Amino acid sequence: MISYDTPLISNLNMLENISLIKEVHELLSTEKAQEQASEYLAKIGLSHIGLNRLNQCSAIEVFYVMLIRAFMTKEMNVIIVTPFFLIKNLRDIEAVFENINILNKHKTITVLDNITNESHYRGKMCHIIK
Amino acid sequence: MIRFVESVGEKAIDAVSSIFEALKFTALCLLHMVQPKSYNSAMRMVLTKQIYFTAVGIIPLFIMMAFLFGSVIIGVVIVLATQYNLQSEIGSIIVTFVIDEFSPFFTALLISLRSGTAINTEIAVMNVNKELNTLKEYKIDLIDYLFLPRIISGIISVTSLSILFAIIMLTSGYIFTLFYMNMDLHTYKNLLIAAIEVKDLLVLLLKSIAFGFVAMLIPIYSGLKTANAYTAIPISVLNGMVKLFIAIFFIEVFSLLLQSI
Repeated sequence: MISYDTPLISNLNMLENISLIKEVHELLSTEKAQEQASEYLAKIGLSHIGLNRLNQCSAIEVFYVMLIRAFMTKEMNVIIVTPFFLIKNLRDIEAVFENINILNKHKTITVLDNITNESHYRGKMCHIIK
Repeated sequence: MIRFVESVGEKAIDAVSSIFEALKFTALCLLHMVQPKSYNSAMRMVLTKQIYFTAVGIIPLFIMMAFLFGSVIIGVVIVLATQYNLQSEIGSIIVTFVIDEFSPFFTALLISLRSGTAINTEIAVMNVNKELNTLKEYKIDLIDYLFLPRIISGIISVTSLSILFAIIMLTSGYIFTLFYMNMDLHTYKNLLIAAIEVKDLLVLLLKSIAFGFVAMLIPIYSGLKTANAYTAIPISVLNGMVKLFIAIFFIEVFSLLLQSI
């Protein structure tokens, strides 16, 4: 779940936020879990934000970190709730979808959004279900 | 009349249920403390950081305060003992006062003021920011990941700093006896060794563990119970600190009662 109700942990940096899931659920060592987290960040060109805290990152960077964190779980369904609310200045959702494709090949992604944002999704690489 | 009885009953039920809830939380934390699966790498990392923040960061200030308070207070104790012709009992007076009472109590107060408030605020902010909700959503046990490292760091920090405080205080006591009573180091050392008992060390250890446990548990619990608003954070810290000081005084009085039996 990626939503307003599941923010990043503010006293952890981006790498720690991502690696926490693997450390707790798969009992990976901190080094190995952070290595995996770095690899994911590098895939979408965000390796430079690894050591940043929440207040040092833009909304889109925070969103991608939340996304990678969700991919770290064993859950096969990832739900993104109101991305246009999470990323205030997001104009084109296509770039987000492209990065989702780079990061993930196996999980099912569902975006929940308000009907008023429907136009943002028309003609993009997603199915609209009402 | 019925309304009065109802309100008294309501308050009594509230008080009993909140005490029950707090005891349940304490029991849960203790249970997690003895389970090996609680100690994963993330938890160990938090524990290391917490020990650093709670015990290591405070050392310079702590040594200075232990030395200043130690020399003044031991000085006063020695002067009073001399006035009342208790020179022969100076060793046991110093040991009882420093090891059994002052070191654990003062350390607990200092850790409560410095780390207790910080932890209460941290948990309250995490609660209001929905970060605790994130951890629950990702099935990360709050007790294992957030609370246990802080409680264990509290126990380790208060115990180790109490021992350090006692050592510094006894050392500064020697400096006072050297100038005030012309006592040499050998005599002072023998005086303390003759006075110290296993009981004193046990009291220091048990009291420090109890103080360390409550100094972290109460702020955590108070932060966890914060209402969902930023304005509730100072109220939560205020309530937590009042409860913590009551608990510290309760442990102190309880230990005095136990020692007097």
